[in-house]
Amino acid sequence: MKIAVLTKAIPSYESSIRIDSSSTWIDESVVNFVVNESDSYALEEALQIKEKLDNGSEVVVVTMGSQDNTSKVLKDGLAKGADRAIFIQNEDSNTDPLSIAKLFSQNLKDENFDLVFSGLQSDDLGSGQTGVLIGELLGMSTATLGIETDIQDGKIKIKRELESGWFQWVTLPFPASVSIQSGINEPRYPSLKGIMGAKRKESKVIDGQLSDDPKQNFINLFVPKTEKATEKIEGDVDGIVAKLMDILKNKLRVIS
Amino acid sequence: MIKFSLLEQIVLILFLSSGLSFFLYQLLLRLKIVLKGKSDFSIDQLPDRLLRVFNEVILHKKVASGGRKFAGIMHAFVMYGFIFFGLITINHFLMAFGIHLFNETFRLWYFKIFGAPWAFLCSFGILALAYRRFVLKPKALGKFSATSGVVTIFIVTLMITYLIDELHLLKSPVALKVNWWLHSGVIGGFLFLIPKSKHMHLVLSPFNIFLKPFEIPHHPAIPIDLEASEEELDNLLLDLSRLSKDQALDIFTCVECGRCTDVCPANRGGGILDPKYHFILNLKQPMLDSGDVNVVDKINVEAGWECTTCQACTEVCPVGNHVEKADEIRSFQVLAEGDVPQEYQKLLRNLQETGNTEGASSSDLLKQLPAYTSDKELVLWLGCFAKHAMDPNFIGSVKNFTKILDSAGVTYGVLSNEQCSGDPANKLGDKLTYQLLMDQNVEELNKVKNVTTMCPHCVVNLQKEYSKYHEIKYEVKHHTQVISELLEQGKININPGSLEKVTYHDPCNLSRTLDEVSAPRNAIKAAAPDFFELDESGKETLCCGAGGALWWKKDSGKGRTHLLRAEQVIESKTDTVVTGCNFCYGMMNQGIGPLTPAGQEPIKVKDVADIVAENLV
Amino acid sequence: MILVVLENQRGNIHAFSKEAVAAGQSLGSKLGMDVSILCLGENASSLKEQANDYKSKSLILAEHDMISAYSADGYSKVLSDVIKDVSPKYVIMGHSYMVRDFLPRVSAKLDIPFVSDIISVTYDGDSPIFARQVFNAKLATNIQPDSSSNTTLLSFQSAAFSSDEIELGGSDAVSVFEVSLNAEDIKSSSEPEFQESASGVDLTTADVIVSVGRGIESQDNIPMVESLAKAMGAEIASSRPVVDMGWLPSYRQVGSSGQSVSPNLYFSVGISGAIQHVVGMKGSKNIIAINKDEEAPIFEIADYAVIGDLMEIVPKLTEELQK
Repeated sequence: MKIAVLTKAIPSYESSIRIDSSSTWIDESVVNFVVNESDSYALEEALQIKEKLDNGSEVVVVTMGSQDNTSKVLKDGLAKGADRAIFIQNEDSNTDPLSIAKLFSQNLKDENFDLVFSGLQSDDLGSGQTGVLIGELLGMSTATLGIETDIQDGKIKIKRELESGWFQWVTLPFPASVSIQSGINEPRYPSLKGIMGAKRKESKVIDGQLSDDPKQNFINLFVPKTEKATEKIEGDVDGIVAKLMDILKNKLRVIS
Repeated sequence: MIKFSLLEQIVLILFLSSGLSFFLYQLLLRLKIVLKGKSDFSIDQLPDRLLRVFNEVILHKKVASGGRKFAGIMHAFVMYGFIFFGLITINHFLMAFGIHLFNETFRLWYFKIFGAPWAFLCSFGILALAYRRFVLKPKALGKFSATSGVVTIFIVTLMITYLIDELHLLKSPVALKVNWWLHSGVIGGFLFLIPKSKHMHLVLSPFNIFLKPFEIPHHPAIPIDLEASEEELDNLLLDLSRLSKDQALDIFTCVECGRCTDVCPANRGGGILDPKYHFILNLKQPMLDSGDVNVVDKINVEAGWECTTCQACTEVCPVGNHVEKADEIRSFQVLAEGDVPQEYQKLLRNLQETGNTEGASSSDLLKQLPAYTSDKELVLWLGCFAKHAMDPNFIGSVKNFTKILDSAGVTYGVLSNEQCSGDPANKLGDKLTYQLLMDQNVEELNKVKNVTTMCPHCVVNLQKEYSKYHEIKYEVKHHTQVISELLEQGKININPGSLEKVTYHDPCNLSRTLDEVSAPRNAIKAAAPDFFELDESGKETLCCGAGGALWWKKDSGKGRTHLLRAEQVIESKTDTVVTGCNFCYGMMNQGIGPLTPAGQEPIKVKDVADIVAENLV
Repeated sequence: MILVVLENQRGNIHAFSKEAVAAGQSLGSKLGMDVSILCLGENASSLKEQANDYKSKSLILAEHDMISAYSADGYSKVLSDVIKDVSPKYVIMGHSYMVRDFLPRVSAKLDIPFVSDIISVTYDGDSPIFARQVFNAKLATNIQPDSSSNTTLLSFQSAAFSSDEIELGGSDAVSVFEVSLNAEDIKSSSEPEFQESASGVDLTTADVIVSVGRGIESQDNIPMVESLAKAMGAEIASSRPVVDMGWLPSYRQVGSSGQSVSPNLYFSVGISGAIQHVVGMKGSKNIIAINKDEEAPIFEIADYAVIGDLMEIVPKLTEELQK
């Protein structure tokens, strides 16, 4: 079994996010890049499958981006137990999910992966499309929001999370591209042996060029309005309840 | 005079020599395992070691401490009984070969002064202890112990047979002979009983107390060379599973009294951690089975993560054990297994990536305080807790400390590139991340002379732990020590104006690890005359629950470890609780608010710096 | 033309789909385009009946045995075929879990842009600009899809539009799309949907949270707040004291020592707003707080500060909600 795990370096939640002078991207100099959270669950799931199958399966971490931001993502993946890494290097600020997926697909096509795992979505752009797009581009079956996996002969069963506490099992023949939901497992921590062994593992660098004809692009980033005008509600209980009902129904629309 | 036949003499020689052989065999078997341990015993500070043996063995200072004063005194009766009976026993056996150590006068005097009184005291002691064990059944003693019952019977038999003989209660030579053999049989029985039971402590504990390392906690450095060869790495990982000689000896010395479990905050808070078993007894049989000390992986992992590393267990142990082994099992889990609870992974990554526990990219407090320059007397080391406002109220305490320094005319500054001391990484067993932070800090700190900080965790690391890995050229003082010195030197003056009832919560790191209980008290008492001690204070303090990186443990589960001390403080009916550690300060604040019964004024939480600054003149 | 695609949710039009209809109609009137509604796959006929009143140019029905239950393969194939057939400028859906699952495949099949999870629309003359949240909602971005693309796929975040704004008036025409599917088009298979009672709760994904604090006074009053949460379809959460007392399990705790949440609505009941709690919930999009104490710090970050006795307000509000 050959499993690719797509991982991405994203700004940590604690980092301060400031818009840069171009107003289409953020000032990366003040940002601490970390592994996207759901990607680390995807990697753990792949490693557990490899360990369970115990038949010389291979887990490959794949990432795209600039050298500075992504190097620790690959190092972390290899330290945790991935067998090798593919790094598609590009410094573009193209934010079009389809262009990104095409570049991944071109470079993964010849690898003939049985499975492509990705995190549910990246916590920076948050399109949540890449895994599914790659699946379609490479002629794979796809599923999203996997919360449990079960490898069977020639196929993978995925428990998908649906809305409001519902679930569904789907069965996909290989090759398949599956996006993984956070919380599916307990990601491991790189052991000392893993960290030191990572240096000896193969890491392939590909110079990737994103399409210069993106299907969509950021025009400008902006800070959402945060001004808070607190509205006081007091008086008799009936008045308060009526007012709350109005807010819940008509202003916030949390009830119908 | 009883006469012995040759046959009797031969039987006696066979009996005693088989008992002695068995005893020695079992003892050597254990010693052989102990000697396989890592890092050698140290016998430096010889006078201190001998003094400790005198205090803890001869004077029973730890055995008869705390709530076990009575049991401790009973134990002293039994132990002294054994010592005084040593001579009597030698004389007893030599008698069989016609040799008499004592002449009749001496024998009579010895009987009157030592023999008779100690036969009674020893019997009384062992019967009282048996009553406690088998009737009162304190939880800490654990399951029913058959050997303890046998020992009781043995000792009482020894005393009775001795008294029968000395008081000449038997006239018939046959009865006398039977009585003699009974006494001999019991002594021989001890040789078979002692080595395979907890009674081995009577041989090993004086040595164990003598050899006990002074540092609390005492975990060897685990230096990691990332350029090491595969073989060197394998050796390092193998070493992680091994106990030190000192720890191995501890395990065979354990007397199973359960004091460590009694004082354990994790256990008292409803956790599974039971240090007597998880850190000591569970390792004994695996060591005997394998004949080796590679038993770290036999420590219950979940229990290991519960430990607050407060060292109460080690402090209380009457036979000189370093009980806590959270460091060993955690290092093993992190470095060898890569198995770390998720909330701690986040913490460790923050440390690696941002050099602070919170993953913050800047600190407001750092910007507000003067930067250190070489013309200043002191580096004010902030620590992550203050720097990143982990309890926003504590910022006021830092300001109060700087107010004290200003008032004394002491110049100080903060280091802009201060990294976390690494305490949480060290305590969680991630020695690699720890080294990363330590190396950066040592490089900066070795350029300065004097450092002070309000965080005892930082003091322990900057001063004690770092020196296990590096040569350090600076000196670190806890801020309560600085304040206490300024008071003594008359550089600051206090008008004792805090008229409320004040008590002090000793932080574990300050009291047990840094051995500092007086400096904070001097400072508090100067400001607040109405001072009283909590039930568990000084080196016997109860952990606030934040130690061992448990501050960052998000899922507190069912355990109430983090509430125990706050509850005690509320029950003490104090007006104000003062502490000397930012983490304790945060825990008190978090605990006291919610736990205070409705309608009752919540107790004020202060740092030593607060109560001093408030009363400066 | 604008094509709105309806999603089935256990027999009914998905709430997000209704908002998508409103979004489609709004976009249509701004751009002078017709709106058609596609009832696709699972339960399509019933959805068509339910959508009968919605004002649209045409109501299109696309049914087939092989998509009588949702299938990513089938849905993406059929929707692609429909798009090829009717050439809409925009295809609009709600940003549901199902849409995340198959709509990117249509984007890849047809090589057209998919702008997902849109929170608002503005217009630059005749061309719409879509805003979506990025960087954990710390920033938002304006996106303009490639105007040369024949079709653009759009999905809207819940509450970006309101289903109250749907224009009624029925459909001018009803048509049936001839679905062509072969066995080899459907590679994956699915089992029936099922529900699970959760033991640990991931509060971070909850849309509405009712959170209870020390003001609740006693464990006996917890069920009162639980009924409120149930009536609002909300997850129940708490501040630290409530967990410390053992009144709620620790996985329900919000704050520095619990979970950090950012729901659409955080409804706080009897929480004073200690900093340790506030850091865990200040990212909530809307905050309603009930507290007796007018000075409670929670009111500083609340959108609606209800000053009153929760013991009276909560049961009344629950009763009203249950109506």
